[in-house]
Amino acid sequence: MTTLGATAIRAARRFASSLPALFGVLIFTFLLMRVLPGDPAVFFASGPNSGKEEIETIRKQMGLDKPVPQQLFLYLYDVGRGNLGRSLMTGQNVTKDLRERLPASLELTFSALLIALVLAIPLGVLAALKPGSLVDHGVRLFCALGVCVPTFVSGLLLIYIFYYLFGVSPDPTGRVDIFTTLPPAHTGFLLIDFALAGDFDGWWAAFKQLILPACTMALFVIAPLARITRASMLASLGSDFVRTARSVGLSWWRIIVTYALRNAILPVITIAGIVFSTMLGANVLVEKVFSWPGVASYALDALLSSDYAPVQGFVLLMASVFVIVNLVVDVLYGIADPRISIG
Amino acid sequence: MGLIYSKQMLGAAAALAFFTAAVPAKAQTRAETLRYVTGAAVNTLDPNIPGSTREAFAVSLSTYDRLVSFGRKQLNGKWVFDLDTIRGELAESYSVSPDGLKITFKLRNDAKFQDGSPVTAEDVKWSLDRAVTAKILGKAQLLTGSLTDASQFKVIDPTTFEVTLPQPDKLALPNLATVYPIIINSKLAKAHATEEDPWAQAWLKENTAGSGAYIVETFKPGEQVILKRNDAWNRAAGDKQAFFKRLIIQSVPEPATRANLVEKGDADIVIDLQASDAQALEAKGKLQVISTPQYNAITFISMNNQMPPFDKPDVRRAVAYALPYDDMFKAALFSRGDLLAGATWADGKPPSGAFPIKQPIKLDLEKAKAYLKAAGYPDGFSTTFSFNVGQSATAEPMAALLKESLAKIGIKVDIQKLPDAQMSTQITEKKLPFFTEGIVAWLPSTDYFYRNFYTGNQRWNYSSIDNAELTAVAQKARFEADKAKYEADGKVLNAMNFDLMPQIPLWQPSQDAVMASNLTGYTYQFHRQVDYRDLSRK
Repeated sequence: MTTLGATAIRAARRFASSLPALFGVLIFTFLLMRVLPGDPAVFFASGPNSGKEEIETIRKQMGLDKPVPQQLFLYLYDVGRGNLGRSLMTGQNVTKDLRERLPASLELTFSALLIALVLAIPLGVLAALKPGSLVDHGVRLFCALGVCVPTFVSGLLLIYIFYYLFGVSPDPTGRVDIFTTLPPAHTGFLLIDFALAGDFDGWWAAFKQLILPACTMALFVIAPLARITRASMLASLGSDFVRTARSVGLSWWRIIVTYALRNAILPVITIAGIVFSTMLGANVLVEKVFSWPGVASYALDALLSSDYAPVQGFVLLMASVFVIVNLVVDVLYGIADPRISIG
Repeated sequence: MGLIYSKQMLGAAAALAFFTAAVPAKAQTRAETLRYVTGAAVNTLDPNIPGSTREAFAVSLSTYDRLVSFGRKQLNGKWVFDLDTIRGELAESYSVSPDGLKITFKLRNDAKFQDGSPVTAEDVKWSLDRAVTAKILGKAQLLTGSLTDASQFKVIDPTTFEVTLPQPDKLALPNLATVYPIIINSKLAKAHATEEDPWAQAWLKENTAGSGAYIVETFKPGEQVILKRNDAWNRAAGDKQAFFKRLIIQSVPEPATRANLVEKGDADIVIDLQASDAQALEAKGKLQVISTPQYNAITFISMNNQMPPFDKPDVRRAVAYALPYDDMFKAALFSRGDLLAGATWADGKPPSGAFPIKQPIKLDLEKAKAYLKAAGYPDGFSTTFSFNVGQSATAEPMAALLKESLAKIGIKVDIQKLPDAQMSTQITEKKLPFFTEGIVAWLPSTDYFYRNFYTGNQRWNYSSIDNAELTAVAQKARFEADKAKYEADGKVLNAMNFDLMPQIPLWQPSQDAVMASNLTGYTYQFHRQVDYRDLSRK
């Protein structure tokens, strides 16, 4: 009980200490967007007859007619009240857009990470058990292939095979087949919402849509996870406690899983945390190829059209996710290895 | 029909099952549903909101009615919109007074808004007042038809409405058929207006209050819009309903995925495929590919006439004679469209007053070198050629050929690829010396092109040309009622344009509409989107 309380306090302290960093990110992105040479007002005033007047109207709407320090102040005030501004691109509040799109990205990223971990850890362990063997080389080849094929290539390839040639996957357009009715939104995660609603046809439809993009993303991140597992397992297998465990005749399973793997898992958790945050922000190609309505493709479109509010909102969101993921990783450390305390 | 169940049929069956459950009387099948996929997205339900996308325009055409709409004609065997035939949409009939200053509209008696209330002249007045008064996109468009002030619009009786013009203007009526002057249910809209938003712009962005052929069922900005048919609507040609019971408009950003979808039959129609995909699908022959040169759009290579060395006409002529038009056309567009070079003008005079016309120009390096020498740059010069990222599929191969060819006459070109917003900003600020861009005119008449794209210190005057004579002729032509004189003015403008060579018209790219073979009725529209009301399934 006390350890749990202590962990919570340490986590909270840790979170508080990351607030200045978030604030810095906020101001930095704000200024960066203003320094970029594109003018959103000009871009959006692009009807066939838009002239100076339209540009001025949009500028006023976006508050760009005010001096930059005042804009920054107003922006901070708005963010403080939970308002991230309005996107010209979708015409919606950025908060609303992100709230709708983040679950899509999270669902995809979680699934991809799950698939990646389920494949990568056994692969890494197998490779570590027989270093230099055919299995080890096979794993290395698989990893190399996964990393060196860009996600949009593997994505298009998977679509070509499973949708176009064999027709076993549904059309790669978004999170669920267009004719399926959506479940009442509780979590925003379709798999969970469908399950809660007891709609298993819907769940299956959503699952079928999810599996290809999730595999595409997983392929790309299996390599770092498997390699780290292998390296860390090698160190762990060669250590004194494993030798001791072997000498006292413990079962094979206990030696590998309970002693070696548990000790080897720390760096894997770290990498998994980093991989997760990176995937969430950087899976824009997968989102584009599969028309996945996620945050990354949203931010990219906004960036191309210099739509300030969504880009700023996205960067802030990503920074927050990064902070939270690091926090979770730290807490997981504590569970994996009770000797470690965060703070 | 047999018992062959394809995947589509299963999808249709699923849809059927759902609809029978939800709305017992209205079973809809896949055949009655049109699924349109696009790389862009719908961002507002009111096309007037600054920043509206073209997809939003297309949706508004189905959800709202205008007073009038364009007819259609056949151009080289393909249906295109016809600027010269204007038929009533909400108006049953219209008449123009002999002096051309008054247009009177008689509204349809049976026209109802989607909430069931009748469409009255009051609604028309409120809607058009909004279009010329509120800070919205319609204002600048209607200006081009001499529609500028609310006092021009008058309610005569509940079904009669009158527009007064300060001078006869042949673009007044066509302007009322464009995207912006939608007729809004004024009672409904006013109920959502506020002190600081008297024209209910915020509400209309997310909601519709129209009388159009389709009712919005779901609207997810940036993802999809689902529309269902308004069964009471009968404003198609011949007082018909729209064919499809349901429209799905879905954003699919990846062009290869869109090509897959339409080829598999999961999507019915797509108009923004890559030229190479359109060509491949056409070659396979399973689908219908209707390829219409966008006759109201032009791609230019523009030179900044105010910036040395392009301030010298001879430099611009030299560039024009140094471009490999045919190769560029092939590389960029797979020759899909109309090339605007390679004509011969008898005795050097333009054969017509239309715009654009094929220019009597072709690759001639000797001539180019001579012009360059005459301009005082015998050894050439260095410059930058810019295009925006969004166009790279066509602009990149074109720019590479341009660079290679200009190098032969001593002009060294650096290619610069700019994000779209940066490109438009720099064009507006007149900072780019040499670039490629496209234009489009909704109401393509010669004077309109020249007035909007060749005069004034404004964004669309890409070449920043400032020629008093050209401006004067274009302004005069605007209100020229005599067709022969108008044609003569057009010829003068075309001759001046060719002589001054402010920018080089390259081509009119094709709109490749790729669709299921059983779709009919596709018409190329002025807004370059699909008007869903045109389509039906055999």
